[in-house]
Amino acid sequence: MKHIILAFTGLILAAGPTCAQQGSAPAGNVENGKTLYVQVGCYQCHGQAGQGARMTGPRVSRTEFPFEGFLYQLRHPANQMPPYQAAVLSDQDAADLYTYVRQMPAPRDPNSIPLLKAER
Amino acid sequence: MTESESGALHRRRFLKGVVFAGGATIAAPAAVRAQAPEKPNGNASPPTAAARANERENPLQVDRLTTEKTGSDFMVDVCKTLNLDYMAACPGSTFRALQESFINYGQNKRPEWLTCMHEEVAVGMAHGYAKVAGKPMAAIVHGTVGTQHAAMALYNAYCDRVPMMVFTGNAGALDERRPGVEWFHSVQNGASTVRDFVKWDDYPMSLQHFAESTVRGYTLACAQPPGPVFITADAKLQEDPLEEREQRKLTIPLLATPSQTAGDANAVREAAKMLVASDAPVIIADRYARSQQAMDDLVKLAELLQAPVIDNRSRMNMPNTHYLCQSERAGGLIAQADCILSLEPVDLYGQLNAMRDQLERTVSSKAKKGVKIISISTRDLLVHSNYQDFQRYVGADINITADAQTTLPSLIEAIRREMAPGGNKPAEMRGQKMREAFNGFADRAREEAALAWDASPISSARMYMELWGQLKKEDWALVSDGDFSSIWPHRLWPMEKHYRFIGGSGGYGVGYQPVAALGAALAHRDAGGRVVVAITGDGEFNMAPHTLWTAAHHGIPYLTIIQNNRAYHQEVMHVQRMANRHNRGLRNVPIGTTIDNPNINYGKIAQGYGAVGIGPISDPNDLSEAFRKGLAAVKAGQPALIDVVMQPR
Repeated sequence: MKHIILAFTGLILAAGPTCAQQGSAPAGNVENGKTLYVQVGCYQCHGQAGQGARMTGPRVSRTEFPFEGFLYQLRHPANQMPPYQAAVLSDQDAADLYTYVRQMPAPRDPNSIPLLKAER
Repeated sequence: MTESESGALHRRRFLKGVVFAGGATIAAPAAVRAQAPEKPNGNASPPTAAARANERENPLQVDRLTTEKTGSDFMVDVCKTLNLDYMAACPGSTFRALQESFINYGQNKRPEWLTCMHEEVAVGMAHGYAKVAGKPMAAIVHGTVGTQHAAMALYNAYCDRVPMMVFTGNAGALDERRPGVEWFHSVQNGASTVRDFVKWDDYPMSLQHFAESTVRGYTLACAQPPGPVFITADAKLQEDPLEEREQRKLTIPLLATPSQTAGDANAVREAAKMLVASDAPVIIADRYARSQQAMDDLVKLAELLQAPVIDNRSRMNMPNTHYLCQSERAGGLIAQADCILSLEPVDLYGQLNAMRDQLERTVSSKAKKGVKIISISTRDLLVHSNYQDFQRYVGADINITADAQTTLPSLIEAIRREMAPGGNKPAEMRGQKMREAFNGFADRAREEAALAWDASPISSARMYMELWGQLKKEDWALVSDGDFSSIWPHRLWPMEKHYRFIGGSGGYGVGYQPVAALGAALAHRDAGGRVVVAITGDGEFNMAPHTLWTAAHHGIPYLTIIQNNRAYHQEVMHVQRMANRHNRGLRNVPIGTTIDNPNINYGKIAQGYGAVGIGPISDPNDLSEAFRKGLAAVKAGQPALIDVVMQPR
């Protein structure tokens, strides 16, 4: 099972400097995106704050990936992620989701959290 | 009674005697009252000729109702020669004589009898115990039904290659069985239920046979690769009297602790050459280390080669505080490796290949073409056909069938001999790269842990760090698997000693965590009172919540934290995958996978079993105080549970 659920490591969705440019995303509805994030089960693998989980799915919070790539990953996942076809999630729903995860709150600086502060 | 029978208590007559005696006890007062006025002294008529003839042919037999020594006493003598501290059991009549002998004749010491509320707990407890104590404990299960209950825990232990002695009882020949229940609990071949996943089993036909098979079984259980051994103690052998003259003939074989198999010297030398010649060696440690010495040896080997170690966490193999512990970079390292040394692999194929779980399953290699593989493992010494725990076959370039832990010192020596005098420059350069990569691991983990720090339901990273805030002051041990909580303990906590962690279930049989934690906590208690923590999913815990009663009853302290995501979350993801694949929407995914409506109050359950129960905790800011209280209870000798409402992983 360990390998069946093996990490979506390196998943295209992950935020990173190499995928910083945002594509031409249609206007999305944050509130609907928030509802969909729970309704279609994104949080089950990516966490309720979009933080990701090591063995189920990467961080999606504030993704810097362009919308076209985001949509392509939903429709034709490159890895273990289940496919979300239009019958389940329309392009507009995908745009709403994209808008929602893009505007998730910025993470706190770990050094501002006593339990996470780096020991020097 | 014939001479041949005179020494033996005939069980059928014994039972008949009990029935008659009981009947007489109840009936006598009424009979006396009714007959007393007329026949105060009983004045019977003279016997007839037929009655006299019948008495000559069938003389009155006096039932022998008690005995001072039984076969089960001898069985206890046998078990006392083994290095067994505990015998865990949920009671069952097929071993009633043995139980009585252990607690009275054996004085309930070495082994001490432990009361469990399910056979899966008795066996699973032995699983966790062995991984901490480094030796087997025993469990005994009721014939047939108890064996069926125990089966999944035995399978986990077999898959995880853990030694244990498991006994069962069986009523034996049909003319010796009580009508009714004893037939339902009798079986021709009791071990057949579990034979596919025990290392060895036997049904001894005599007490001498029992002695030899039990001692042999213990030795086999401990020989690498270890595994459960299953011995059937026949009820007639248990319950029949053991006369002095019969006992004098019995002997208990000497228990010989097996030395383990080391790799063939030539193969080890070839492996050393291959590793020294490698530009990018990688060491993968799986079910490798059984001791601190084994961990120290792995550090020596890694430092000698300046090779990264990927610790697959089946055991505590490599200190995660060492710069060569590079599990975080497993994928990249395997992709670049030109030589992989695999120590006691569980699934080497899965390590080297990825299968995409889509409608059409496709496989891709994670490793470079032509990578050299060296495997040191006892795996080939224990393979059964039916259950497929052996995984897909990988042809290694050098396949050393031997105990990796025992072989490592000779491999280290062989590598030293192969290395050029004056050091190994490429190895030193590799080491520098590893140090640089290692320095980034902690920062990345802290950044990721901060992402959902204030979230409710509580993030797993927050829970682990709040716990660490309290636990770091203690000599602690984690007795649960971290894989279902994003491997946070291995990413966030320093794990430098062998007893800090024991790996997972082996067979992914749900229910392992709470029961193995109980046995592991027992071993840690005996080792000097380490503070033990188990993080258990709510689905897992519900398989055996009564472990807490056993812990309270026997004074086994440890802290259980329920990672309460109110679901069988792995199955949520599987059903979600199928719904997506079939384009049917996700509305019904919770059916059959969630554990809510009503929500379960695990704190109250703990209290009901006599443990300290805290929670549910939903606000991350309440964690610190809850953990402080829970750990205080554990340090005071109590089992405690804290229910934390958490995100899925």
